[in-house]
Amino acid sequence: MLNDYAKIFTQAENYNIAYLCSGYQCDLGFGSRVAFRWVFPDRSLLNITFAELEEDSNRCANMLLDLNVIKGDPVFTFLPKQPSLYSFFLGILKINAIACVLFSNFGEEALMDRLGDSKAKILLTNKGFLRKVKSIWDSLPELEKIIVVDIEEQESERVLSYQKLLGSSSLNLTIPPTVPDTPSVIHYTSGSTGKPKGVLHVHRSIISQVKTFREILSVEDGDIFWCTADPGWVTGVSYGIIAPLSQGITQIQYSGTFNAEIWFEILQNEKVNIWYTAPTALRMLMQEDTSLFAKFDLSPLKFIFSVGEPLNPSVIDWARSILHKDVYDTWFQTETGAIMIANRPGMEVRPGSMGKPYEITAIILDEQNLPVPPRQQGRLCLEPGWPSMFICYLNKESVYRQKFASGYYETGDLAYKDENGYFWFFGRGDDVINTSGHLVGPFEIESALLELDEVAEAGVIGAPDELMYEKVVAYISLKQDISWTRSLEIKLRLHVSNKLSSIATPQEFVIVERIPKNKSGKILRRLLKAWYTGEDVGDVSTLESE
Amino acid sequence: MIEVYEKLNEIFREVFDNPTLIVNPGTTADDIEEWDSFSHINLIMMIEIKFGIEFKQKEVMRFKNVGDMAESIQSKIKF
Repeated sequence: MLNDYAKIFTQAENYNIAYLCSGYQCDLGFGSRVAFRWVFPDRSLLNITFAELEEDSNRCANMLLDLNVIKGDPVFTFLPKQPSLYSFFLGILKINAIACVLFSNFGEEALMDRLGDSKAKILLTNKGFLRKVKSIWDSLPELEKIIVVDIEEQESERVLSYQKLLGSSSLNLTIPPTVPDTPSVIHYTSGSTGKPKGVLHVHRSIISQVKTFREILSVEDGDIFWCTADPGWVTGVSYGIIAPLSQGITQIQYSGTFNAEIWFEILQNEKVNIWYTAPTALRMLMQEDTSLFAKFDLSPLKFIFSVGEPLNPSVIDWARSILHKDVYDTWFQTETGAIMIANRPGMEVRPGSMGKPYEITAIILDEQNLPVPPRQQGRLCLEPGWPSMFICYLNKESVYRQKFASGYYETGDLAYKDENGYFWFFGRGDDVINTSGHLVGPFEIESALLELDEVAEAGVIGAPDELMYEKVVAYISLKQDISWTRSLEIKLRLHVSNKLSSIATPQEFVIVERIPKNKSGKILRRLLKAWYTGEDVGDVSTLESE
Repeated sequence: MIEVYEKLNEIFREVFDNPTLIVNPGTTADDIEEWDSFSHINLIMMIEIKFGIEFKQKEVMRFKNVGDMAESIQSKIKF
């Protein structure tokens, strides 16, 4: 039976994403269908049907109602990938609260920035992470309660057992009317300056997510889908939760770390048809001996898609030669909520290209906000109004307005368009670092480094890297009488890793006398980048004098 | 070998900022949520500093669990 995705968007009060992901699937008669097939690191398997997902998420929704969570309250998860995270996520949306999934590798400062900025009311976590959260709880007055997935009894009035609450929560739930503009999900993203920004989406976003799932990722009824992204990032929510579930598609979830052999076992044993992954993962696979791949039968695999960083032509060549498949690169951002520009089956793949816009007007503008001719580089901008467009940055109204100052949404990416309408990524127009598909703000890392007594100044850039696309490089000047040693290096690395996240850890340190700044004291990261790559440093007339 | 594990346990606690962490020979990256490819570099660097040894890249790639690490460390301390 075809799951007619267009039909679900005709009922104005039926936009609740979580209802469409579970209850609606049961209403269609798909209750016994497997929604999630979990593969655990020990290779054990767990199937969760749509009916089970409906029951669990209803219980989670009632659990939150019992804790006085109301419409619009931010409710967070801070957990490794596991089934309860997904039920809880849907439970949040079912009562029109706002869900935010925090990447499980965040350190204390990263947690505090996000929980504090959003005024999170409830957090779901585990025993292992509880210590980290408790250490910052005093600074988070709005965080009322913490629910812990792996304690059997309530620890206190504010630290509660998930199992205990779940057991006493009702199965029956009436989902409130959910109009398309109802806020749904917050994702945090990094910028060049300041703290991470909370990107708020609404339930309407499901339209773009579903359409691109069907028409770009080309998923058909009966397909097995595997999106390898973590739910702490937009891809892991838009295409690792919302799109497949709302289409009644069985999807794979793997909770282990990257391992080429296990990944290929999953592709083979679970008969994956559509695989959505990232360039870094593909580049890591390329480092494996080709004999590894020969022993796997991937005949059910129809298409491979990639997202997160530019896809090098060499990856496409490798996939064609070793896997006998094309890899289709797709492009979107936290703010766009769904794929905007893509290569897709049926379209000629031009290796290295982002592809063509999908149901959106994408335009390249020059400094005067005028469209540029083909092959001329400029700012990649999108005409506003697509269904999954974010509605604000939390508490940063002026930054949001700036994003649309030209009348178009500024992506922050530099690109050009060729004569045939293909877009080609050139680089970021700002200082944001894209490392292994994760955006990292240099300001946060610089701030963390400056917290250490030994560091006088810090300037952080993204430098080209063959595996990660960009790596974090920290230029630092040390205080007087401080020498650079390996012990100091590890101290700095661990400080950033534990404060922010391991992803933000500088992969390289360069010790300099002074960090170049302009006359108003702004770090000249452009100059640092030029130093690193050996390129022409350009105009340095604004450089601060000695 | 017990001393190696004791020292390794201290290193793991420091690297992953978790004073309650306990590792054993069978511990893998799947058992410690924060243990990813980025923090793995921190871990290796810390082990090298604390034990006064150096690993070759090929050795590091072969480590499947803490037991493999401990064996490699032990062999380097001996010689």
